[in-house]
Amino acid sequence: MELSLQKGSRSRILAGLLLLVIAIFIARLFYLQIIQHDEYVRQAEAEQIRPLIIPAKRGEIYAYDSGNLVPLVMNQTVYTLFADPVMVTDSTKALKVIREVAGGNLRPKTEDLLARKDTRYQILGTKLTRKQAELIKKESLLGIGFQEVAQRIYPEGGLAAQTLGFVNDGGTGQYGVEEALNERLVGHDGLLESVTDVSGVPLTIGDKNVNKPAKNGDNIVLTIDRNVQAYAEKALASGLKKLGAQNGSVIIMDPQNGDIMAMANVPTYNPKDFTKVKDAAVFNNNVINSPYEPGSDIKTFTIATGIDKGVIKPTSTYNNLDYIKVADRTIVNAFKGETGVITMQHALNYSLNTGMVTVAQRLGDGNRITRGARDTMYNYFHDRFRFGQLTGIELAGEQRGTIIPPTEVEGNAVRYSNMTFGQGMDLTMLQVASAFCSLVNGGTYYQPTIIAGNVSDSGEFVEAEQKRVYPNTIQPETSKTIHTMIRKARQAFYADYDTPGYDIGGKTGTSQTIRNGKYIDDETIATYLGYGGNSKPRYVIMVEASGKGQNLQGNLHALPIFTDISNWLIDYLKLQPKG
Amino acid sequence: MTRSQRLAERSDDAVGRRHRPDYQIALYMGLLMLLGLVVMYAIGPQRANVLNNAYDTDFYGSTYFFIKQTMSLFLALVAFVVASFVPYRLLLNNAGKILVAGFIACVALLFFGNILHVDAITQCSLGACRWFDLGPFGSLQPAEFLKFGVLIFAASFLGMRAKQGLINDKSQTLIPLGVVAGLAMLFVIVIQKDMGTGVSLMAFLSVMLYMAGLKYRWGLLIAGILVAAGILFILIAPHRIDRVTTFLSGDASTLDDAGAYHITHAKIAIGTGGLAGVGIGNSVQATGYLPEAINDSVFAIMGETFGFVGLVAILSLFTALLMRLLKVADHMPNVRLRLVVIGVFGWLAAHVILNVSAMVGLLPLTGITLPLLSFGGTSMVFIAAALGLAFQLSRYTVFGSKLKSDEYKDSQRGRGVRGARNTGRRRTT
Repeated sequence: MELSLQKGSRSRILAGLLLLVIAIFIARLFYLQIIQHDEYVRQAEAEQIRPLIIPAKRGEIYAYDSGNLVPLVMNQTVYTLFADPVMVTDSTKALKVIREVAGGNLRPKTEDLLARKDTRYQILGTKLTRKQAELIKKESLLGIGFQEVAQRIYPEGGLAAQTLGFVNDGGTGQYGVEEALNERLVGHDGLLESVTDVSGVPLTIGDKNVNKPAKNGDNIVLTIDRNVQAYAEKALASGLKKLGAQNGSVIIMDPQNGDIMAMANVPTYNPKDFTKVKDAAVFNNNVINSPYEPGSDIKTFTIATGIDKGVIKPTSTYNNLDYIKVADRTIVNAFKGETGVITMQHALNYSLNTGMVTVAQRLGDGNRITRGARDTMYNYFHDRFRFGQLTGIELAGEQRGTIIPPTEVEGNAVRYSNMTFGQGMDLTMLQVASAFCSLVNGGTYYQPTIIAGNVSDSGEFVEAEQKRVYPNTIQPETSKTIHTMIRKARQAFYADYDTPGYDIGGKTGTSQTIRNGKYIDDETIATYLGYGGNSKPRYVIMVEASGKGQNLQGNLHALPIFTDISNWLIDYLKLQPKG
Repeated sequence: MTRSQRLAERSDDAVGRRHRPDYQIALYMGLLMLLGLVVMYAIGPQRANVLNNAYDTDFYGSTYFFIKQTMSLFLALVAFVVASFVPYRLLLNNAGKILVAGFIACVALLFFGNILHVDAITQCSLGACRWFDLGPFGSLQPAEFLKFGVLIFAASFLGMRAKQGLINDKSQTLIPLGVVAGLAMLFVIVIQKDMGTGVSLMAFLSVMLYMAGLKYRWGLLIAGILVAAGILFILIAPHRIDRVTTFLSGDASTLDDAGAYHITHAKIAIGTGGLAGVGIGNSVQATGYLPEAINDSVFAIMGETFGFVGLVAILSLFTALLMRLLKVADHMPNVRLRLVVIGVFGWLAAHVILNVSAMVGLLPLTGITLPLLSFGGTSMVFIAAALGLAFQLSRYTVFGSKLKSDEYKDSQRGRGVRGARNTGRRRTT
């Protein structure tokens, strides 16, 4: 039946009112949904879209163990226990449970923290294991929660501590490889940006979802050999203790490719407990970041320069007076009595300063260390041996050292005469050891490296990019000659220390230290720099020992440590005796 | 005498011949119910998820709400059919008893819930008991039953008074009705703390009084009393004050204001819907942001899902249904029957207007369902029963020319009745 409202009836008024209200609704909806649409979409997104960071796993760090990879640094998930004191209903039970399960991880006065009802977040304990966390979770305590925290663990304890560095609480690498390669180790966090429900659970609704997966950090493989490193640390520590030295460092390199096999420092620390370290100096890797006057080790470089320039031969002679005049200074020998006409080999064996100054003079006009002689020395020391240049080692905090060029006023004959026996310039052990490799390997400078490559997540080894190689620091013939001279220098006094049948050579160094700009007599640094091998050198070892107020001698305090490591390495590397 | 003869004797309604009912009422109601079911299907899983998380259970399956709503719809259809077949005279002649039954249900709820605290059969929260728990049969809200009782009683009572010409008589009509209304308010608003149901009850009573021919000066007085009572009810409940202040701050209310949370999210849901909506199953607000997403806030969720177009369509369906009811009422052969239909109209209109106004920020929140669409059995069953009654009465519409002018003496302000413009085909079978 078709019906219409009675004219003039109250139902017409009701109908009018109804239609008016509906019209107002539609106008209002038009305003909300069409005109204000973008504003409400913005409000909705501000509330609904939550970015979820997917943390990238920090790369692990591996070393070698007789050719196999072993982890030095790994990751472990630990749990931070926190409470929302407002939400905690049964604090007696909560305290009882967490004390039973994780008493050792709790912060002091846990009950006071839990009673702070004016706060919404209190960290009650840190570094709980997964098992502890699960045991506590099982109790379903209201207001108690956990946060996952990635933590570095060190299966080898404090091994290679200065080389590795550590990761601070903010997740940033500090010192060593951790700092130098922080970006590679960190990787890239992933981002999941999605519409979530009210409790933050991502929904599959909407087209604004971003899903960028996390890229884990690279797993770095060091050139370090775990056993060599461990032995070096042991030999250094026990050697220093036996000899009464406070501080010391060792570096062991492969002279055939520049790989660092070990680097050790005393005193040291355990990266796990980096927060407990009182003196931050132990974080420093003195091999790379404390330049010092290298002393007599440098005599090998001076002789090599002279031979390479053709101004001397091992058999060249000079008249040793135990002193020699350079400009207004007189330079004396530390070891006296070998006066008369002697060979350069003799001068090297006895580490005679006069012989070295003579070489420098012969690089000039025979009597003076001319500008030409200084240019030649600078060319060899700085440009070829790369003294005073950063090696580019993949560790944090490498120092450049100082070597003064002849173009400067300070680069005068006196300085260059001092430089012939290792004074008047500051170098790092790494610079000296790397250059020394080129002296004995035929004249090739390999950029030193501590990174062998990386292991992909699937376990595939990817070799690191080829490091720079600088050929012909000296001619191959020169290398052969200086190689022999260095062996003779060692054998002159210490031949019976070494495992017979191997080619081992080295040079002592005893450097004076400078305090307040002046050389002081009561503190010397002992070093020993040498190589070992068979048909060709297989390792270069440099040892340094020092101590505040200690007069340490290269032959007494550094050499025994070299000998210890050298003899052990021959066994460890299973080197065949020379035929 | 047969039972029907006796009923006819007692009834002084002189109604015309029974004819085909107005199927438009059933059509609009059915369409709205189906729409509600679609939305339940779409947001049910999200709602279930929210509840499962909140109570740390997996009790609510993804089709839990869909199935419950389907069952409610089935019950509602049964109620509709029953109400459309049970002779209206039976209901009207027993109006007093139905009203008393409604009050008894409320008293029983008060007794078992508020006084004895029998949790097994009552559902209470924050000191207000609104539901009987019927175990596997769901729950029952006595207020809805009372509302139905008041509707039938008021129609019957006012119809009688209108026939006697006593509609505007203070002691014969207004005071007795006022007592009934006041008593209902006492139970619904004061004891059960259900402002929404109370307001809708007062709204359809007012519409019925108005259509019964109440004089405007009485109307103004009653409106004044209602406003004063309303303000009193707001002032005694802090959450109601919050709702009013939130409403008064309008669109400037922000998410930072806890009190504005509900209404702000309703507006966000509606606003993000835009022209065409985000589509079925893509509602984000239903995942826990918008409170009461499946009950009182379903209009906002529909705005998000179906957009402006969808909401206009829904409002159009409600308008069509309400207009149809109004027209059916206008063609009832006597005041009593007209007032029944008007009561149904007022009930439905009050729910729609109060609910939608709150959702779009035009009135404060009252906590009232959107009929036929909201999740919830009792409300659905009683509104369907009311519509079924109107559907039954639509069989007795008569042409305007046949309406007795004396019945309109009060309501027409003496202007007489003119015939209907359209005289559509009447099919007699």
